Amino acid sequence: MKLENRAPAEGINASHENPLKELAWLLAGGLGAVVLLVFTVSFAAQWIAPRVPYKYEAKLAASLPPFATTPDNAPGRQVQAELQSLADRLALRLDMPSEMVVRVGYREQDIVNAFATLGGQAVFFRGLLGKIDNEDALAMVMAHELAHLKYRHASAALGRGVAIGVILSIVSADLGSSAAGNVLTTAGMATLLSFNRDQEREADEAALRALHAEYGHVGGAVDLFNVMMRLPGGRQSSGPTVEFLRTHPLTENRIAAISQWALKNGAAIDGPRRPLPAGIAALNKPEPRR
Amino acid sequence: MLDLIELGLFITLLVVGFFAGTIVEKRHYASIRKREREFADVLAFSVRFPPDRVTPQRAFLVHGTVVISSDYFKTFVAGLRNLFGGRVRSYETLLERARREALLRLKHDARRQGAKLVICVRFETTTISTGWAASIEVFAFGTALIPERAAAIDFPARSVVAA
Repeated sequence: MKLENRAPAEGINASHENPLKELAWLLAGGLGAVVLLVFTVSFAAQWIAPRVPYKYEAKLAASLPPFATTPDNAPGRQVQAELQSLADRLALRLDMPSEMVVRVGYREQDIVNAFATLGGQAVFFRGLLGKIDNEDALAMVMAHELAHLKYRHASAALGRGVAIGVILSIVSADLGSSAAGNVLTTAGMATLLSFNRDQEREADEAALRALHAEYGHVGGAVDLFNVMMRLPGGRQSSGPTVEFLRTHPLTENRIAAISQWALKNGAAIDGPRRPLPAGIAALNKPEPRR
Repeated sequence: MLDLIELGLFITLLVVGFFAGTIVEKRHYASIRKREREFADVLAFSVRFPPDRVTPQRAFLVHGTVVISSDYFKTFVAGLRNLFGGRVRSYETLLERARREALLRLKHDARRQGAKLVICVRFETTTISTGWAASIEVFAFGTALIPERAAAIDFPARSVVAA
């Protein structure tokens, strides 16, 4: 017997193919699958939400602590009453679901924001009201939030959130804390955000229609987004700088959309503004030094 | 902004992992091939018993061990591969390098102790970490034999590996 060692075989046990090729295929496949899944489920949730009878949403909202609360002081109550009467006026323009009772809440917090949620509730923060200097701009925010309520966006977001949360938690549980899991989860979230931005655009458009019907022009929308552009952090506010990672479209894009909408519908972009109701106007004090 | 930093960091890690990993792997393969030629006169086999006509004068355990780590790129690709199944190509080269390196170190150990024949060579693999970058240890061990009279053995002084 002749004993010998031969050189190890090359290219049988390990492939020397370019690993980038494998990466491209796997990444395309993985991202494609997640985006498709999230897209399908989100679309389904969006489709189903407005078709679920409103009473179920109201029931769910009733089981949670109320969001639309009123501060326990006279000026706070006055602000809430003014917001509520504006909401009631705009609701007539928006053709809200008949069984929905809109309740507007007011919170004395210096957050520059407002939101709409389950059960016909919209909440305004003092921080936002203090930045706005005419009723038209306030009406744009209000109409935007009412449009979210009208289209049942909170229900859709809830349905989507639960379904996508389950899917993504399976993906990330399966891949552990690996980078691959993170990438797929982020892709899923980005897809989800695109639905969020679609909702915002839908709400903006409905709000513009209501604004035009109520005031005869859409100057309030322009004023509102100009206020948003002037916020600390500027045009990008504090969120991510690329649109696909944001919950809302970029403010510039929203302003551009107003002009486009006005042009298409022959609406005036400027006109006489109405003053704020007294209680809200009192919040609009000169900016403290910063 | 934070998301952008995260995205940038991830892409940087991936690119660094790819280039660093590729360079490290190329160099390692070159070094392995070179040393395989250098150690061609030390023969290693998996047989359990000494070949015919080899009467060992001395027999002792020799071993070689290596710990080798994946890179960010390989781990990422392998993570995606877990979704679809199939050959985890990015780890195949890793494991192959580790086995060949461990065998080389075993031969090194054998030659250091004056042996040119190792039988009953076995490999063991231990996973050291499975986090975002996997590391493994490959351990090769065998029985080195020093025959009574080298002339009595029917194997070439330099094996065909040298060719």
